[in-house]
Amino acid sequence: MSASLSRRKFLAASAAVTAGSLAAPWVARAQANEITALLITGGPLYPKYWEKIVQDFTAKTGIKVRYDLLEFTPLTSKVVTLSAARSSQYDVYSTHTAQIDSYFNHFAPLNSYFSESELAEFYPVAVKYLSDPKTGNLAAIPRNMDARVQYYRSDVYQEKGLKPAETWEDLVDVGLKLTGNGHYGLVVPGQGDPAQRTFSDLLWQAGGDWVDQANKPAFNSEAGIKALTFYRDLIQKHKIVPPDAVGYQWNENSTELSSGTVYANFDWPGAFATLSNPETSRIVGKWSTAPYIRDKAAISCAISHAMALNGQSGRKEPAVEFIKYTVGPEAQRLQFEQFTNFPSSQVIAKEVIAAAKGPQATWLQQLETTIANGKEWPKLAGFSKVCTLMFSAIEQALTDQVSPSDSLNQAATEAEEIMRRAGAYD
Amino acid sequence: MPPVAQHQVSGRRRRSPLPYTWQRGYLLASPALLVMVAILIYPLGYSFIMSFFRWDLSGSAPFAGVGNYTDELFGRQFNQALRNQTIFSVVSITIEVVAGMAIAVLVNGKLRGMRLARTLLLVPPMIAPAVVGLNFRWLFNTQYGLVDALLRMFNLPEIPWLNHPTWALVSVIIADVWQNTPLMVLLFLAGLQSLPQEPLEAATVDGATPWQRFWHIVLPLMRPVIMIALMLRIIDTFRTFDVVWLMTQGGPGGATNLLTVYSYLLAFQAVDFGHAAAVSYIALGMSLFVLGLLYGIPWLIAKRRAI
Repeated sequence: MSASLSRRKFLAASAAVTAGSLAAPWVARAQANEITALLITGGPLYPKYWEKIVQDFTAKTGIKVRYDLLEFTPLTSKVVTLSAARSSQYDVYSTHTAQIDSYFNHFAPLNSYFSESELAEFYPVAVKYLSDPKTGNLAAIPRNMDARVQYYRSDVYQEKGLKPAETWEDLVDVGLKLTGNGHYGLVVPGQGDPAQRTFSDLLWQAGGDWVDQANKPAFNSEAGIKALTFYRDLIQKHKIVPPDAVGYQWNENSTELSSGTVYANFDWPGAFATLSNPETSRIVGKWSTAPYIRDKAAISCAISHAMALNGQSGRKEPAVEFIKYTVGPEAQRLQFEQFTNFPSSQVIAKEVIAAAKGPQATWLQQLETTIANGKEWPKLAGFSKVCTLMFSAIEQALTDQVSPSDSLNQAATEAEEIMRRAGAYD
Repeated sequence: MPPVAQHQVSGRRRRSPLPYTWQRGYLLASPALLVMVAILIYPLGYSFIMSFFRWDLSGSAPFAGVGNYTDELFGRQFNQALRNQTIFSVVSITIEVVAGMAIAVLVNGKLRGMRLARTLLLVPPMIAPAVVGLNFRWLFNTQYGLVDALLRMFNLPEIPWLNHPTWALVSVIIADVWQNTPLMVLLFLAGLQSLPQEPLEAATVDGATPWQRFWHIVLPLMRPVIMIALMLRIIDTFRTFDVVWLMTQGGPGGATNLLTVYSYLLAFQAVDFGHAAAVSYIALGMSLFVLGLLYGIPWLIAKRRAI
């Protein structure tokens, strides 16, 4: 072999292989009935879930789907990078309400692909916050709802004759009675986006909001200062929350309860499955759920994982068919069976609530109440950057570096300037 | 080269269609140059251009002039990151160089167990920064961490390592020092072992103490090695990301936000590539400036002395 391979032939073969490799993705993408998708994963069940969804979809439509799976944070970073590069590598993206305002000009509007009646089936709060408030364009369609309820140690509460907190005052009272001997009555996250979510819930509950009628920052109102002061005091004054919580995000928030160190938290729907599984929980059978706490109002965030169509896609029709399938009744039922993900379709949600029994039925009703009353922070131009500012402002107050009022006032001044520069008031 | 050998070499290459010219050299190097341009020069140039535009995902990217740079230079968050970066770089590098030199002098001696010590010194730099970050995050956890558990065992007060702004910065400096001091030791050890022995022996004969030998002979002779070590660490501290991100994500409240972490947050959280690029280029400019001072000042002093 080596004797017959001349340098010229070797170079020619190398050039051919290189050219073939470079052309392969374009050739593959040229197939009419194939789309590509970048989808979310999280846990061992997700790959099987997507495999089944894609197989069923291909069997029904004949459209093939090549997909990659990524967990939430790397997925977000990749979508940001691909959008900045105006890439058409993927036709479909998994996305989320959290940063949707950054993609309003990159995801193709889905309004024309869904009829009014189809859209009305989804929870209004999800559709509202996935839409561009300026244009009304629907940037993504909700796949499942994310909202939080209270999870608490029913065995410990019963032993001490306590009831789950309903109000802010209850939360402190119950927490003080439970804290001691290496245990804490409550855990809340205190870093980054989770800290902002927690502050946001308290802000709405105290009667405040992020912006006023003119879209100017209003989170430094009396209600905002009250909310951040209460949040800080849970950690620094009442000490019913572990001191390390100022560095906690969602994982630590969940693990503190499931490990048995802490007796209550506010967590997402996935916690129901985690706490029920002996492999991931030390408190199986020892916990229960209750509604989120309230102050002046009973409001907390209601957001959603969603599916979006890449604006650069050259295969929009089959891509939309896939998106529709992933938010359709079969996929939503399967999601609930596999991960107890709360459906984004009101019809399917009512169906699963009606079929549920015992604690699961109670929990689903509590979740539905949260979603029905839920809100999200505004999707104004520049608000993603305001979020980065808020992470720091909230953390500074939680760690007593500055007072809640100083922290919020300074953040509000800077936030207005950021949004002005981003064109929120044009 | 003897004439026969020269003839044989040129005989072997006679079939080449290209003449022996400098153009041929460039032609042969062009694939590698193209790869370098594509993966190094182009992204650098692209991000530099990006730093002069309001570059987010909003569709339009209007020209901002030096607006992104001035926004950041006068911005509170940037200045906090710059302050953190300065403290982090100065304190880490000082400790690493001083401790690195001390340990190098120690392990350069002919004491028992020094060979094992030198081998163990290779371990920290071999560990991925992400692993170091995760380990130190656990070590410094107030509830479950080893460090506070030891403090409690000896009835000493707990330290809020990652929860307090000052201690959080101390924690990331400790992690950085733990990982990078051994690298300094190895560099200094190599330098110490290559020093000429005659001046040291002469000084010993003249009755110099070990400290005098170190201060007046070893240290001046080691200056080129120390300069290289400083240069490497200055470049490195301005690129530090993984350890800090995994330990604190720049918190609490931006107390450990270094320029890299701040730039990452701007790009991937705020989706503001223009400002993120500007921050990266300011950081690059600063590290070049510091390196310029490092090499320029001794050069100027030497020149003045020569005059």
